Amino acid sequence: MIWIGDVLVSRGEGGVYNERMLAGARVWDPYRSKLAALYHVGKGVELEPALRVLYLGAANGTTVSHVVDYTEVVYAVEFAPRPMQDLIEVARRRRNVIPIMADAARPEMYAPLVEAVDLVYQDVAQPDQASIAIRNGVFLKPGGHLILMLKTRSVDVRKNPEAVFDETLIALREAGFIIEESVWLAPYHQDHAAIVCRKPAKPGE
Amino acid sequence: MQSYWFGDAGEGRCLPFTGDVNAMVSRILALSTRMETFSPVDWQQALACGVCSDRVDYLSRLQAVCIAAAERLVREHYAGKDAELLQMVRTLDEMDMVINLLSERAADWYLVRHPAFSRKYRRTPAHILVKTMREKSRGALGMVAGEIEQLAGTRTALAKEVSARANDVMPNTSALIGGLVAARLMANAGGLRPLSRLPASAIQVLGARTALFAHLKTHTPSPKHGIIFQHRRVHNAPREIRGRVARVLAGKLAIAARLDYFRGVAVPEFLEQAQDRIDAAGEGEGA
Repeated sequence: MIWIGDVLVSRGEGGVYNERMLAGARVWDPYRSKLAALYHVGKGVELEPALRVLYLGAANGTTVSHVVDYTEVVYAVEFAPRPMQDLIEVARRRRNVIPIMADAARPEMYAPLVEAVDLVYQDVAQPDQASIAIRNGVFLKPGGHLILMLKTRSVDVRKNPEAVFDETLIALREAGFIIEESVWLAPYHQDHAAIVCRKPAKPGE
Repeated sequence: MQSYWFGDAGEGRCLPFTGDVNAMVSRILALSTRMETFSPVDWQQALACGVCSDRVDYLSRLQAVCIAAAERLVREHYAGKDAELLQMVRTLDEMDMVINLLSERAADWYLVRHPAFSRKYRRTPAHILVKTMREKSRGALGMVAGEIEQLAGTRTALAKEVSARANDVMPNTSALIGGLVAARLMANAGGLRPLSRLPASAIQVLGARTALFAHLKTHTPSPKHGIIFQHRRVHNAPREIRGRVARVLAGKLAIAARLDYFRGVAVPEFLEQAQDRIDAAGEGEGA
């Protein structure tokens, strides 16, 4: 990751969302982007130029635009039409963003478009976040990483965020993922946790 | 063989899809993959297939198809008759909020200028007060009052349009509960399709979000009605049977919304029966 002092940045064409520029690089604000927050509070996954990424819940393409500055290609899945209009605009200006308008819970609808990826990044406001991640695990190369941004409030507002967090960890472990890191994103985002896990390189690892 | 965006490939064979971007979009939107036997796209297959010349070319072709597909889906989504109605209702509700806020503020300002003025013991409707303020105030306050009157005029026109549009887009629901309330229900659910998929119990408390979550979290009494309270049969009903009327009405609205979504025309046989049932509940008959 590229840091200028303690400011996280990415290198690419600026002006996507009026982001601040620092020494010619785009400032990646942890208060706006959960992934940026993860790099501030934890380790995350090092983004590299050869990486292929499946991004679920791409929204307006703000975080997508930073991820794609670091990586080879981002398959950006978003279901709602309003943010999709913005995402298409980002794709027009960045040749390695592939916008896909589909429901992340139904990978069978976009499977013919997506290749095997090194990283699945998920940030969706749905109750069944763990099962969406697990279903999209088919796109992940063995040894690849999954970053799940858990919106505990979307899972069940009645439940205690910690309980939702624990249940999600158990569900991911049962699906065969190896948990590498799990952190809360406070003070940048409330009731949000990041879970980083890895798909075993060979079965039974 | 498996179907990918560029054609069918597998077992060492490959059939590239020949057709323009438009045809390709139609094809990928119709594809549905069986995930049990699925293996992800390998771009080398596309290369071997002769679909692209290199990696960069592969991605740029794929991107062109995906952008076209996304654009088509966005267009289709907005082409639905409910898409504009939804924006109209939300604008209407927001105008109400703005008008109220501004009126309150302007009244406070007016009170400062007229220390002896009080609204107690008078039945001055808000719009008359605004008119008085416009006529009796010099400078910016008078202009603000004038703007509020203008906004109120626009609001009335918009409300008429919403009502007329709702009668067209959701004839059955509108017939049962009135165009304006029907449109509000639809906007709260997020569209006609989502509304048509809601169970009656959810429609009954649509718009009573705070009360519903307070109930779920801290076990306060459950809300009996949300937006549908605006129906005369609900708010005119005696307290003891209000919950029942709301439940019966919500049940009929759920059916009406489905008729609206799947048929799109008024169904007189249903409406007559439903109306009778709702009236009966309102008169304290039936369970």
